[in-house]
Amino acid sequence: MQRSGPNREGIWEVSEVKEESIFEKMWRRRGLRAEIRAANALAVKQWQVEFSYPLSVLWFIIMPFLWFIPSLILGAAVAGGSESAYLAEVAGTTDWLTYIAIGSAFTGLAVSLMWGTGFALRREQNVGTLETLMSTPMRRDTLVWGSTLHNIQHGGLGVVLQLGASVILFGVNLNLWGVMPALGIIALSIIGLQGLVFAIVCIVLLAKQAWMVVEFLSSILFLVAPLTYPIAVLPPILQYVSYGSPMTWSVEGFRGFLMGSLTGPALLTTVGALLLLDIIFIVLGTLLFRRAERYVRAKGALSQF
Amino acid sequence: MTELVHETQEEVIHETSEYLESFKSRAMDWTAARTFAVKNLRIAIRYPANFLVWGILPIFWFAPFILMATAIAGPGTSAHFTSISGFNDYIQFVVIGWFVFMYLDNSIWAIGNNFRWEQMSGTLEPLFSTPVPRISILLGAAISDTIQGTMQAGILLSICIVLFGLEYSIVAILPTIIILILMVIALYGFSFMLAGLILVFKDPSVLTQMISEMTFMVSPINYPVQALPRSVQFVSYLVPTTIGIVTIREIAINGAVDLLSFSQAILGLGLLAVCFWIVGIGIFRYAEKWTKQRGHMGGF
Repeated sequence: MQRSGPNREGIWEVSEVKEESIFEKMWRRRGLRAEIRAANALAVKQWQVEFSYPLSVLWFIIMPFLWFIPSLILGAAVAGGSESAYLAEVAGTTDWLTYIAIGSAFTGLAVSLMWGTGFALRREQNVGTLETLMSTPMRRDTLVWGSTLHNIQHGGLGVVLQLGASVILFGVNLNLWGVMPALGIIALSIIGLQGLVFAIVCIVLLAKQAWMVVEFLSSILFLVAPLTYPIAVLPPILQYVSYGSPMTWSVEGFRGFLMGSLTGPALLTTVGALLLLDIIFIVLGTLLFRRAERYVRAKGALSQF
Repeated sequence: MTELVHETQEEVIHETSEYLESFKSRAMDWTAARTFAVKNLRIAIRYPANFLVWGILPIFWFAPFILMATAIAGPGTSAHFTSISGFNDYIQFVVIGWFVFMYLDNSIWAIGNNFRWEQMSGTLEPLFSTPVPRISILLGAAISDTIQGTMQAGILLSICIVLFGLEYSIVAILPTIIILILMVIALYGFSFMLAGLILVFKDPSVLTQMISEMTFMVSPINYPVQALPRSVQFVSYLVPTTIGIVTIREIAINGAVDLLSFSQAILGLGLLAVCFWIVGIGIFRYAEKWTKQRGHMGGF
């Protein structure tokens, strides 16, 4: 306890009582509200870091377009028009532009969550703040949820920006009535993706320089997800892998609502499968994270590079 | 014992002084370039898995484009694609694009970022205080990265040939090597420019990513140049890999060398090489001076 101010005992005593009470209050904080506040503080901190780099802001704005435009050019080169008869056979729509624009927008959100959140603890480790954060009076998984909150905002804004520009500049057709249900799908997809994110965090905590493993895993996940093509064009074995990924059902649901094509039994199947995979992935992810985090702390390897 | 140590120290000082006294500033020090290249290659050999990983990973990056083209046009290719590109096998077309793109990617991520890694390992300042021309260090880094890049591109091409059952003309080997050499020389100038920017901006992640995505977008890797708008086609030809991809694709797939277009490609790449070297070295020198004046060389 540091004592400052004039050398009068009375003032010191007041100061001590005040600081002790804040300290005790910090340690007493419990409950969902306290964790949400901590997660929010982490998300705000990450925004402040990003906004201190002007190039990052520029990248954030142009990134969704740089990812989408190559697919757009390729689509135009192979389709030779605004409609594709083959896509109608395999995906039930001839509008290839809207199909890939929505899938590509979802890619931005998924990349933001998987890479941004997955490597959040590694970034804290690199700047030397991981141990400090781990010793703050909050749940350890709140550290990951805080980064998720930031990346939902970051990636979500990217989705809005890309889809908005696609409608205005490229003539993409969106079903406005499907926006709210599509947001519901996004909410469900975040739970399943968070399970994957926890798994990535475990790899990062254990392997430290884990980008190569994560690059392989995420490349496979993105390959089997129906982002810019339907599952039907994948080899049969990859189609099975695709059905087991929450990203598959998230993209199908998100696009289905925004194109107004998700109704009846297909709607029930998509939402049901997503809910089931959400439960499996979030439970497994959380358990893995707790185990890995305890293991790393027990080994004293938190700050090891 | 003390005398012996004293004598040795004097000897070292004498030798050092002699070296420095006889030192003459040169425009290019090939020994330094070779030493730096060998040093980088020694480090690279310590991580053999990297070669394989970077040879395989691009398959995951271009597979979505192939699948997307299949979903829109159906298996094989489309009449529209054939009419604008002149090729009727999309996979054969794309693989050449990615094979050549590996060199561009390498020049952006590896050569351009070399000084950042030296900085992270704490060796940038000692490196810049050595009495050798900076161009030697840059060239040494570029040569070692080109060797690694060539191995990775070779692995990628071999895997794709086996995986997709592709066939390319053997006639293409020699012209491809000639085009690749010229293209790589032009890309060195591009990398020097990036290295200068990284000295100034330090954290290269966003800058490098932005340049990488932009060059990828305007390059005819997954689609022909003709698919780009006219104004963008002009920008595309300013990236040295565009001429490389177009020429190598033509020769490797069609199996015939058109002397006129081949000479034009060589002339174009030569011109780009001269321009990029002048601009690249100019930017690097300015960036180095700017960074030194601010005492910011080792800063993060």
